[in-house]
Amino acid sequence: MPAPLYELRGAAKFFQLGGATIRAVDGVDLTLDAEEFVAIEGPSGSGKTTLLQLLGALDKPSSGEVHFEGRDLVTLSDGELAELRLRSFGFIFQQFNLLSTLTALQNVEAGLAPLGIAAGELRERSLAMLAEVGLRDRSSHLPSQLSGGEQQRVAIARALSASPRVVLADEPTGNLDSRSGADIITLLTGLASKHGTTIIVATHDSELAAKAPRRLNMHDGLLVGDDNVKDARPNVKRKR
Amino acid sequence: MFYLSYLRSELLRRKGRTILTLLGLALGVALVIVISALSRGLNQAQKTALNPLSSIGTDLTVTAEGGIGGGAFANRIIETDLSKLGKPGQHFVHDTFSAGTQPAFAQSQAKTVAKLPGVAKISTGLTLTVQHQEGKVPKITATFKTAAKKYQIQGQTQPSAADFAKMAACIQKLQAKSGQSGTGGTPSQGSGGLTGGGGSNGGAFRSCMPASMRRFRQTFTAPGQIHTQQVNTPQTDIKTSTFTIGGVDTSQSGMGLITPSQVTKGAFLSTKGGLEALVADSYASSHKLKVGSALNLNSTKFKVVGIVKAPLGGQSADVYIPLAQLQKLAGQKNQINVVLVRASKSSAVSQLQKEIEKALPRAQVASSQDVAKEISGSLKDASNLSKSLGLALSIIAIATAFLLAALLTLSSITKRVREIGTLRAIGWTRRLVIRQIAGESFAQGIAGGVLGVALGAAAAACIDAFGPTLSASSPVGDSVRGPQGTAFGLGQTLTHTATSQVSLKAPLAFSLILIGFALALAGGLLAGAIGSLRAARLRPADALRQVE
Repeated sequence: MPAPLYELRGAAKFFQLGGATIRAVDGVDLTLDAEEFVAIEGPSGSGKTTLLQLLGALDKPSSGEVHFEGRDLVTLSDGELAELRLRSFGFIFQQFNLLSTLTALQNVEAGLAPLGIAAGELRERSLAMLAEVGLRDRSSHLPSQLSGGEQQRVAIARALSASPRVVLADEPTGNLDSRSGADIITLLTGLASKHGTTIIVATHDSELAAKAPRRLNMHDGLLVGDDNVKDARPNVKRKR
Repeated sequence: MFYLSYLRSELLRRKGRTILTLLGLALGVALVIVISALSRGLNQAQKTALNPLSSIGTDLTVTAEGGIGGGAFANRIIETDLSKLGKPGQHFVHDTFSAGTQPAFAQSQAKTVAKLPGVAKISTGLTLTVQHQEGKVPKITATFKTAAKKYQIQGQTQPSAADFAKMAACIQKLQAKSGQSGTGGTPSQGSGGLTGGGGSNGGAFRSCMPASMRRFRQTFTAPGQIHTQQVNTPQTDIKTSTFTIGGVDTSQSGMGLITPSQVTKGAFLSTKGGLEALVADSYASSHKLKVGSALNLNSTKFKVVGIVKAPLGGQSADVYIPLAQLQKLAGQKNQINVVLVRASKSSAVSQLQKEIEKALPRAQVASSQDVAKEISGSLKDASNLSKSLGLALSIIAIATAFLLAALLTLSSITKRVREIGTLRAIGWTRRLVIRQIAGESFAQGIAGGVLGVALGAAAAACIDAFGPTLSASSPVGDSVRGPQGTAFGLGQTLTHTATSQVSLKAPLAFSLILIGFALALAGGLLAGAIGSLRAARLRPADALRQVE
């Protein structure tokens, strides 16, 4: 049996803020398999974003282990982590995080450029990706010339351009009205299943979370609920 | 290439920030270029004006000690015998030569110097002061013309007895005619009776006066007269002026009182040493001389072949003629008053100075430093200023440019932290991010450098075009006493100051442009390095956490 996509053991992340220690993620045990659509629910400040960053190798846990495809992310070098982020992870942010001086096409290209592929191929793949999110004709527009929904679609195209294993989306509909939010989720899940990509969405939008086959619930840095009961270990760590 | 188009987009779509950074860099570079060009210009001006000896190919000057009293001209009184100049009314030129600062000595002395070890070359010269008189030969006599004069006299003639009888008869006749009794009585002799005796019948009395007595008032005019007499002081239109003249050893090229490199217009004296003259530019302009003009010295006509920018210092003169010609004119055959010495090695100059002093105990040996000390003026001030301030200003300009570029880059990095976090999140390595940001700074450095060089070159050109004039002066002939008791009692002093006007230039050199450009690049790279190091330190999660 192949290793699960993710395996977290006692993963924790603490921040020092003015002398006080903030336990953003306070020891999480979790196993995720490939081709899942997982929603991480919880109120603001419950540690969703930090958990997502630990999963996406944007941050290293203060303690515990985060295994991705059998590799402990803590032991990997900066370069190896960058490589993982490039090829295996795709990020979608609440604020879209497009590069404001670049066109829609260039923004998608930025996600592929470190692969070192030829300019022509880079452009073709990026345009194809834009076509998949329905923005082929808007490829030369700057982010400021696009609506919020369109910007998020560019971000999806960028996140999926390198055919990653996992797309990590942090409140992807948080800045959108409900209709474009729904469109974004439909687009994201459709593309994910088409490309065989695992999607992990952090959200406090229960409507969005309801669409996920597996829903995790976080509170104060702890995993307090898991739909997939048979996979979930009793999470009994108490708050101090 | 994606990274380049990213760079282009980043710079072009943040125009305000890019222009600000470029201007900061460009101003710094331009300042450095202008300041360096100015100090170069000052140095060049200094070389010609403040280092007069080296400009005439000389390391040391040898003159005789003594000043007044030592030379052949000592205490000579300038006398002009007007009677010997020609016929009255004739135009004359009379030049009297007298020693300048340095007394003359025999030309053979120069050979002693030439034989000393360490001497590469020598040249000789004779600098004299000329009292130049020019005008019409005066008449020794003076003529006065007196104006015509009017004289008024009152004349009376004594009337004769017959006149009286006639008058009496006439009066009686008149009285009878009018029927009036005579009241006047008979006219008596004497002037009083004649005038007052008329009474109320004065009119009748006057009409009876004889004609000779009626013309008692008369005016006569005496004719003008011409007196000629000898006068003590002749009145003439003689103009007297003083200038310095240098006799140039034309046999030595590139070395002498004046050398071809000082010629600004025309040509240098030919080696033959004919009747040719060079005129210092200041003298030429004040005496309206130009190339081709004639210069009359004691009735010998010299042709002005060139205008020169005379070097400052003790050896400068207003007019230069071949040495032999001057010796002949001044009656100073084989006499010189300066030996110019070039050392074989520049390091051996001070040693050579001692050698000459030893060989010729009565000689005064001056080096370029000694001469430069005598020079004053705005050029000297400017060069002192540039020496002390030039470096400081350059450093300030560079520091300002660097600081500005670095600050602007840093502020843009701070604004772009989230962008950097995003790049890291989508798979950019630290190295790629650094390269991108450094690349932007580098590109700005190049553009800023080009702009700065253009700005600096333009500013330098402006300085060249409207450059201020600096002057340097040194006393010439300072120890010469004015000739006493000249024929006209003019007592002119021979002391004057040689002034050299130097227009301030800001010459650009390729190396200067390169340095300016390199500075901009270095500034850009420095800023880029600071910025990208800051960016690299950020952990992607922290960068993303930053709120705009």
